[in-house]
Amino acid sequence: MLVISDLSARVAGKEILNGVNLKVDAGEIHAIMGPNGSGKSTLAQVLAGREDYEVTKGSVTFEGRDLLAMRAEERARAGLFLGFQYPVEIPGVNNVYLLKAALNAKRKAAGEPEVDAYEFLALIRQKMKFMQMSESFLTRGVNEGFSGGEKKRNEVLQMLVLEPKLAILDETDSGLDIDALKVVSTGVNSLRDPKRAVVLVTHYQRLLDYVIPDQVHVLSGGRIVKSGDKSLAQELERRGYDWVMGAQVA
Amino acid sequence: MSAALRSFEAQWRARTPDALQPIREQAIQRFLKLGLPTLSDETWRYTDLRSLAAQSFQKAPCETRGDIDPAASLSLVDANQHAATLSLINGCLPPNADRASINGIEISSIKTLSQSDPKGLARFFPATSDADQRRWVLLNTALFVDGLYLKITRQVTEPLVILHVSTGERAHEAAHPRIIIDAAPGSSATIIEHHVSHGGIAPLNNSNTHISLSMDAQLEHYRVYATGAGASHLDSLDIHQAHGSQCKQFTIALGGGLVRSSLEAHLNEPGASLDSYSLLVGHEDRHVDCINIVTHAAPNTRSRQTARAIASDVSRVIFNSKVIVNAGAVGSDSRQSCRGLLLSPSAEIDTRPQLEIHADEVKCAHGATTGRLDPDMLFYLLSRGLDRETAQSLLVYAFLADVLTGMSVSSARAAIENALISQLPDSQILRKFR
Repeated sequence: MLVISDLSARVAGKEILNGVNLKVDAGEIHAIMGPNGSGKSTLAQVLAGREDYEVTKGSVTFEGRDLLAMRAEERARAGLFLGFQYPVEIPGVNNVYLLKAALNAKRKAAGEPEVDAYEFLALIRQKMKFMQMSESFLTRGVNEGFSGGEKKRNEVLQMLVLEPKLAILDETDSGLDIDALKVVSTGVNSLRDPKRAVVLVTHYQRLLDYVIPDQVHVLSGGRIVKSGDKSLAQELERRGYDWVMGAQVA
Repeated sequence: MSAALRSFEAQWRARTPDALQPIREQAIQRFLKLGLPTLSDETWRYTDLRSLAAQSFQKAPCETRGDIDPAASLSLVDANQHAATLSLINGCLPPNADRASINGIEISSIKTLSQSDPKGLARFFPATSDADQRRWVLLNTALFVDGLYLKITRQVTEPLVILHVSTGERAHEAAHPRIIIDAAPGSSATIIEHHVSHGGIAPLNNSNTHISLSMDAQLEHYRVYATGAGASHLDSLDIHQAHGSQCKQFTIALGGGLVRSSLEAHLNEPGASLDSYSLLVGHEDRHVDCINIVTHAAPNTRSRQTARAIASDVSRVIFNSKVIVNAGAVGSDSRQSCRGLLLSPSAEIDTRPQLEIHADEVKCAHGATTGRLDPDMLFYLLSRGLDRETAQSLLVYAFLADVLTGMSVSSARAAIENALISQLPDSQILRKFR
């Protein structure tokens, strides 16, 4: 589904990604771990199409299409979803409006009719209930005045409504208490499907207790330096990132 | 002496003295001595009046050719949702206008009142001032023909609309509309002043509104500038607030080639509270200059100023605000928030929040930012699949929301939104958000 080959990228003139290689197949959940500053968020943003991040080398295909040639909005409509590490607040733009516009953009691209307003509200309410979100969400601006945890729940809610083929969740677990972490994990697990894939970008192993990954990768210095199964995450938790980075030098 | 000044002096000499003569005399003498403001005057540094000063002005007519239908596109409020529409043509009242009556609001012609009660009226004419922001008020005081005096006597729920029609027979005419709003203790009302132009020629419009709020009175006041591209409009608003009174004021600049809008608020007694909202939209080559001066003259007074400026094409929008806290006005609480949004590389926005504090133990906050659309917000919307035009328009719309959501009159809000949207790029898309 997603094939990243030798991807390098620059942010504000600084080389952040240095030849990333990664292959994610449908039905899989991958975790990308790594210390702060290793390039995890940059990778997520580059995949989502952030324009001020400059790709200097390499290629990315998504379902066989050249992802890097697509604009951010085209990637989203093709079924790629980025759950932001720091979702931005947009006062004055209603949450529901955005969700509806996003869903309709996707449906339009797929040649489907726009969603019926009544059906849409029913869908939102059902997903909100699942994510244990309060009714006030419906009337508020996008992420406006939300706590860190509420913002992350909102990201997952959007993901559940949009049902992406590939979800990239950038530190969706950070800043969550244990109850919120469980809710978010349930949300992610509900998306597990032979036709979909999920990439979890995370600093800690704790999310992986709830969402079991098929593969775990360690990103360091802008490259994937180690890959393994879920036991790699546990080992990292025990031994720290220095262990991998030390191993790399050795 | 500039051509404009000479012509105003000639108009002054030609008029018949009335009961307000002493007040008018003082004002014109001051005005002629000080002259028109120039770029070197503090509050006029962004607005060049030289081409205006070179013109010779004549008195604008009090009649108009052709009918004006206030119920048509000119109206901001649904016919059945407001108490009445009072129309003024170049500041003049149509015959019998002062016989109109609304439950809770007494309506008089200022001209009539100046004959029957000149002393009572005089208190709504503040002492002459040399301050440069008050220069055109002096001229208005000297030359206004008539105007409306509204006495709000109790709690009125339905909004009252004042339709200011600016219309000319030939070029270089000037009108000086005057409105006095006098709210009795404990009364409340909503008053919408809507400035429009009719026909191809609009005179120079030098309007003034004086608002006096007695103890615990509440007023929601709108002034909406919607004149044509050729119109020059100089509008001033004076607000005087007594104990516990509350004023919510909206200044909406949607039209006019040159708009200069001033607001001077005096929070004279404890508990007085002002919420001022300004929505300033510049497009084409229009020039919008707005200045607010809020004086906290008593302890425990409160003011909020929220301004949103948008400039596209080669327009220029200026918003200056100043909060003055007088000595002894302890516990004053003020906030100024001004945000500007540039939609074209050739447009310009100038903002300057200022504070002048002469008392201890006050809370005064101010902030001003101007920029383009936030790239993080834009990327967030794009990453959800919205197309670029929609995402950009949505952010423009969101930018205006802080002011729009403060409006209590839903039909006026809808009409203002509509008019606003039609002046912004991608207006077809913006309409979808409403």
